[in-house]
Amino acid sequence: MTMISPAVQLKRLVTLVRTEVLVLPSRVIVAMFVLALLGLPLVSQNPYLIRVIILTSVFAILAASWDLLSGFTGQMNFGHALFFGMGAYTSALLNIHFAIPPWGSVPMGALAAVLTGLIVGIPCLRLRGTYLALTTMAFPIILMGIVFALPDLTGGELGISGLQRLSNSLVGNYYIYVVTMLVLSAVMWKITDSHTGIIFHAIREDELAVRASGINTTRYKLMAFCLSGFFAGISGGMYAHYMRIAGPSTLEVSMSFSVVIWAVFGGLATIYGPIAAVFVLFPFLEFVRFWPEYRTMIFAVVVLLILLYMPEGIVHWARDKMEKECPRCKIRNVATRKSCRVCTALLD
Amino acid sequence: MTVPFLEVEGLTKSFGGLRAVNDVKFRMEQKEVLGLIGPNGAGKTTLLRLLTGILKPDSGSVRFKGKELVGHKLWDIVNMGVACTFQNMRPFRRLPIIANVMVSCLSPRSMGRGEWVKVVEAKAMDALEFAGISDMALEKASTLSQGDLKRLEVARAVATDPELLLLDEPFGGLSPAETELMAKSIRRLHKGGRFGRLHSEGPAMIIVEHKLQQLMKIVDRIVVLNFGTLLAEGTPEEVVNNPRVIEAYLGQQGGQ
Ligand SMILES: Nc1ncnc2c1ncn2[C@@H]1O[C@H](COP(=O)(O)OP(=O)(O)OP(=O)(O)O)[C@@H](O)[C@H]1O
Ligand SMILES: [Mg+2]
Repeated sequence: MTMISPAVQLKRLVTLVRTEVLVLPSRVIVAMFVLALLGLPLVSQNPYLIRVIILTSVFAILAASWDLLSGFTGQMNFGHALFFGMGAYTSALLNIHFAIPPWGSVPMGALAAVLTGLIVGIPCLRLRGTYLALTTMAFPIILMGIVFALPDLTGGELGISGLQRLSNSLVGNYYIYVVTMLVLSAVMWKITDSHTGIIFHAIREDELAVRASGINTTRYKLMAFCLSGFFAGISGGMYAHYMRIAGPSTLEVSMSFSVVIWAVFGGLATIYGPIAAVFVLFPFLEFVRFWPEYRTMIFAVVVLLILLYMPEGIVHWARDKMEKECPRCKIRNVATRKSCRVCTALLD
Repeated sequence: MTVPFLEVEGLTKSFGGLRAVNDVKFRMEQKEVLGLIGPNGAGKTTLLRLLTGILKPDSGSVRFKGKELVGHKLWDIVNMGVACTFQNMRPFRRLPIIANVMVSCLSPRSMGRGEWVKVVEAKAMDALEFAGISDMALEKASTLSQGDLKRLEVARAVATDPELLLLDEPFGGLSPAETELMAKSIRRLHKGGRFGRLHSEGPAMIIVEHKLQQLMKIVDRIVVLNFGTLLAEGTPEEVVNNPRVIEAYLGQQGGQ
């Protein structure tokens, strides 16, 4: 192969950006969001701001991992904190008791969460609706019981503290968390955009019909549990290493519920919806921390308003304001266009 | 001794006190097209569901090319080469039509056949082409008419490359023109051949249908079910002239 000169490569990149990114407002926003995240430390290194964005990134991974399981396959998991706590506690134990550094303990925490996904997934295969919701809710409570029953190992109420951070520099940590979030989000989105993603979608729509198409739905449902556990486990481990503590709060019911609320707020079965939701809601909640007595109430009101007026989530609502779909080829166009940019059909 | 293509023996299924399928026994040959008729509630759908493993029989056996199907999972049976459609269509409503069919193309059986076809999307498109709804490939399934949903059901089943295809009322709710089109598709499928990347070896079929006139033109043989029991069996002429069949149909306001 001949080498392509840098000038030609740059030209190609510019063309790509012009034809693929600049044509749609939503893509421009995503590109600007990524650039802003990556460029932030160049503008400000305010420790409080950096901390908020690091935690937001952790919870964005968590919310997207819930969507991968529940939004896509429709197996509503109301105990997602189980995977988060499992990742947090496993990496904390490995880091403190076995002196395994974070780059080893976080993936092992994720593997523990995958195993947990299998253990939880199997009894959940036959369950639906309320029964599934209650069963999934029970698992983190069981794990919390184990945590309190073994205080020598888990630190009981106090948790395991003194964990090593991934990086000791503020900016180093920031980039590790933000880049991990961006990469894992892209991976999750790619999974859902693949053939496997179509099967996940179809299982949510009608499981029996998927079986009648010759697909082993048991395998795919368990796969969804394990994949979701993996990503949630990573976010749990990274959370523990950032906070330098893994405590029972990671397993709380409120944690599980927050995840569900974020995902519904952003829009189910999208991956990017829950991520956007966390980036809106988490900093917002940090902001209203100045009025602690109203915090929960403001949160509840905002969520209620969203559910009433944007039932498909904030992302689809915003996208439909800016773009419209071509009735013929289903390609999205800027709302101001009169005809489709690909097939030139008239947009109404 | 040759192994029968499909051999059903003593198949029985009760719902509570109701015997929906009672000691049913029949055989089928390769490439045969069998009509399954009977008054409403006779147990036709239940019988098909027993064959594909959607329901478990109380007793009896279903042997397909010498292999026992009872006890296997639905998806295993589909991958052995038995596909079915649903009487009350079950599309993936919020997915585009093409994605509906791609699910079938992703089954191990469909993926394993024809090494020269690795492109799932293309094969799904050919299945849609075959069923005559390819121009709506990108529409959501929820926007389809009754007739097009029936076609989608057929496209989905055909995309699994079946050797035995079970069609539950393929003409149900269709206009005369749509019925004619569907009958044509079924005959074309049975003749076998290539439809783009879809290769049909001409599957055997069991067709449940109330529209007897159209059914007669397609099937080789007819089996009549009444109150879950086999009432008669024979060529279309034999069956329509059978006094017991006429009586069973007159007992319920008759077939169309
Ligand atoms: N899941 C079920 N639970 C209880 N009873 C059932 C069930 N499925 C079917 N039945 C009953 O079994 C009998 C046979 O039903 P089936 O659907 O097989 O009839 P059918 O021949 O397909 O009728 P149709 O021509 O109306 O489609 C009916 O009396 C029906 O009410
Ligand atoms: Mg029926």
